[in-house]
Amino acid sequence: MPPPLVSIRNLVLEASTTRGTAHILRGIDLEVGRGRILGVVGESGSGKSSLAACLLRLLPSNLTRLGGEIVFDGVDLIALDEAAMNAYRGRRIAMIFQDPMTALNPLFTIGTHLVDVLRRRHPGVSREDAMARASLALQSVGIADAPLRLRSYPHQLSGGMRQRVMIAMALLVEPDLLLADECTTALDATVEAQIVALLEGLRRGFDGSIVFISHHLGLVAQLCDDLCVMYAGTIVETGPVADVLAQPRHPYTRALLACELDDHARGGRLVSIPGEIPDPAAAHVACVFAPRCAHALDVCRESIPLLRHAGPGRRAACVRFEELAEAPA
Amino acid sequence: MSALAGAGNLLRRVCGTFIGTTGLVIVAVVLVAAIFAPWVATADPDRLDVMNRFAAPSLLHWLGTDHLGRDLYSRLVHGATVAMSVALSAIAIALSLGTLLGILAAYLPTRLERFILIVFDVIYSFPSLVLALAIVAVFGPSTLMVVIVVAITLTPHFGRVARAQVLTLKSAPFLEAERILGASFPRMVLHHVLPNILGPLVILASMDIPVVITIEAGLSFLGLGVRPPLASWGTLIQDGYQFLSDSWVPVVVASLALAFATLGFTLFGEALRDAVDPRIRGER
Amino acid sequence: MMTAAPAARADELMRYVGSRLLTTVLIVVGAMLLLFTLSAVVPGDPATTLLGPQATPELSQRFIAEMGLDQPLPTRLWRFFSNVARGNLGTDVISGRPVAGLIREVIPYTLILTFSAIGLAVVIGVPLGVYAATHRSSALDNILAFVSVAFIAVPSFVIAIFLLLIFAIWLDWLPVLGASRTGALGDEFKRMILPTVALALGWIGFIARLVRASMLEVMGEPYIRTSRAYGLPERLVTYKYALKNACIPTITILGLGIGRLLSNAVLVEIVFARPGLGRLIYQAISERNYPVVQGAVLVVVVLFVGVNLLVDLSYSAIDPRIRHTTSDHGVAG
Repeated sequence: MPPPLVSIRNLVLEASTTRGTAHILRGIDLEVGRGRILGVVGESGSGKSSLAACLLRLLPSNLTRLGGEIVFDGVDLIALDEAAMNAYRGRRIAMIFQDPMTALNPLFTIGTHLVDVLRRRHPGVSREDAMARASLALQSVGIADAPLRLRSYPHQLSGGMRQRVMIAMALLVEPDLLLADECTTALDATVEAQIVALLEGLRRGFDGSIVFISHHLGLVAQLCDDLCVMYAGTIVETGPVADVLAQPRHPYTRALLACELDDHARGGRLVSIPGEIPDPAAAHVACVFAPRCAHALDVCRESIPLLRHAGPGRRAACVRFEELAEAPA
Repeated sequence: MSALAGAGNLLRRVCGTFIGTTGLVIVAVVLVAAIFAPWVATADPDRLDVMNRFAAPSLLHWLGTDHLGRDLYSRLVHGATVAMSVALSAIAIALSLGTLLGILAAYLPTRLERFILIVFDVIYSFPSLVLALAIVAVFGPSTLMVVIVVAITLTPHFGRVARAQVLTLKSAPFLEAERILGASFPRMVLHHVLPNILGPLVILASMDIPVVITIEAGLSFLGLGVRPPLASWGTLIQDGYQFLSDSWVPVVVASLALAFATLGFTLFGEALRDAVDPRIRGER
Repeated sequence: MMTAAPAARADELMRYVGSRLLTTVLIVVGAMLLLFTLSAVVPGDPATTLLGPQATPELSQRFIAEMGLDQPLPTRLWRFFSNVARGNLGTDVISGRPVAGLIREVIPYTLILTFSAIGLAVVIGVPLGVYAATHRSSALDNILAFVSVAFIAVPSFVIAIFLLLIFAIWLDWLPVLGASRTGALGDEFKRMILPTVALALGWIGFIARLVRASMLEVMGEPYIRTSRAYGLPERLVTYKYALKNACIPTITILGLGIGRLLSNAVLVEIVFARPGLGRLIYQAISERNYPVVQGAVLVVVVLFVGVNLLVDLSYSAIDPRIRHTTSDHGVAG
């Protein structure tokens, strides 16, 4: 089996806030297989977007600590200096952002955006060639009259169109790793479905890996190979999507799944687990989910559960998952 | 009690920065000179001594004398009184008038409100010194004219901010409650609106002081503001400028005094604003 | 949803343009009314008050005829407005020359001075502001924080006097006063240096601070994050993608500052004894030549309004959201 494209070990991210140090990521261990689509799910504040930001090292200025390692194709990104890291951005790693309304610069045409990105990726390309390739890229993401759209400004496009442009931009650089950070959250349901269908369709032509971040389990189930469930800056469960969803090990994953099934509303937002996500400023000394967990014991409140083997290709961070597996969900 | 504590706290925050401390010290020096001018000065600012024209600085005349042998140091000190009284009276008028119009604009029907705002825009954007020149051309130069012109040009500044403040305040629950309880309009404005909007307006006022000092000095420099022999920094610069070939000392000391004062008040105003408005404080 | 947005934007734009035009017209009409009212409310006999001690009988006669003081007020108002509309700004009571001609002679000096000062301020202030924003808390940023306040705070005529004293009198590097009489370009350029610098210094500080604040805000925008995520070179991100956005709020505030700049230009012209509108007004006031004051002040106001309209036009050059409103159409994706 080839080594994974990305292998994250004990990734820690802390930032200073007015209320003290916020523990945004509390030691993440994760792998992204080559050519696989990894879905990362969790409530807002669980650290899933920060995880993506760490992969690109695009971090807020109030950052106080970035520790652990992110080995990308044999190179630890955390250890790189800024210039070396920048060589990965827009070449081997590309990103699609959450809100297409603000991710494009309002004063520049779509063509300018795409051409600048492409010529950064392939410095030798002439402007005309770059325009032609940008036009093709727009067509490949389902934008009709691409030459016209290249001359358009972002405000002249709808949200769905802009997200297609962002996807075209990401594909234009032919990355090994594509990060999609809640790229459908800001869109309405029908457009969301179109974008997901587009991503599914693109899988065939794209041989890189994708990290698809969402708080929508249904989308992840539809699109992804692997699943990673995050909670309060930790990973509570990982494994192949079908296995995890069929037999969730961690109580939090079960709760998420239950919410998704309960929720008949559009999009199925994860809001109905009782209790609140823990304060990011709190010290990490116990299972982060224990305060909201129906099955928590004293041991859960006293020590941090390990992310341990839980079946073929699966891991879960719960001391009780074996005994709970027998109990009804 | 709490207001005093708040003011003390504010002062401490202003002093917390280099800019704030510098500003505060300069403001204090200028204010002491302005208020206690007769005692701070070493001589009668208007006493002529034509035999002693352009005397060099000495123990008797700390900064020397001007073209009529008057003591420059004492004239500068009295210039502070003129500058401060013009600045404070013009700003007091603009502050009251602007606040009144601003509150009215916020409560008046939209059409009247828009009219007031357009008038504000017109005055605000008008080149104020040129406006002053036109008025002085007709009424002749005087200190009172300076105060009136400056007050008019500054009124929109306060009016706009007062209106914006009232608008954000208007929907506040405690005001709603007062209104439902049947408080009269003047009572609401006096007891609830005014105390809540005064803070930002006073900060604005402090930031306008250097602007007014500059306009007064500019007009007086042109001989179109404060009339000689009254010692204003502007007239001192003008006097010195005319006799620049005899001595550069009067121009330099008077210009420095003016620059020193405007810089001090600007620094103080900025530090005060930064101390009060945490949103802006992050910026610099 | 997408079809409604452009319509709303067009509506908003129309309202904006409408209110700008209204303000422009109001400023000019307001200034004219003010200038007219001033000549009408003059205390005592207008001819003697306005002309002062120089009021010989024939001069008074000419003044009364020129200003139409023997006519009823509404007639005078109508005459004033219709004359101005036809470009007739009245006659110099002392020399008898048309005011419009006097103004035409000196206005290039004022225009060149103001625009070169703005140009200098932009050329120096913008890079300083960008540098301060991209090197936050660096030594230069901290120095700039203090120096820009100092430049803004110190009146420009004081700066003018110091420049004159240092560079023209003590060091004797540059010609002292006035404009070039010979009209030689090199000489005129040398004489322009000090007034331009005096006028520009305050604006350099002003622009540097504005650009710095706007840049800091823009640098936090998601679209800048996009540029960074794709590894675009820092220079491209800063000077192409961020600076253009930072220009919009900067230009707005600069537009508001034009009035102050014109006021300062008047003072600087007088310090350096340069011909120009400022000096014309100043001399006219000291000669009690009211028609000249009236005409020149009106021209300053029109100049001011014109520059402000230019500022408005520059928005649409920068911001496609304004430019494209009329042909806008959203397409559902």
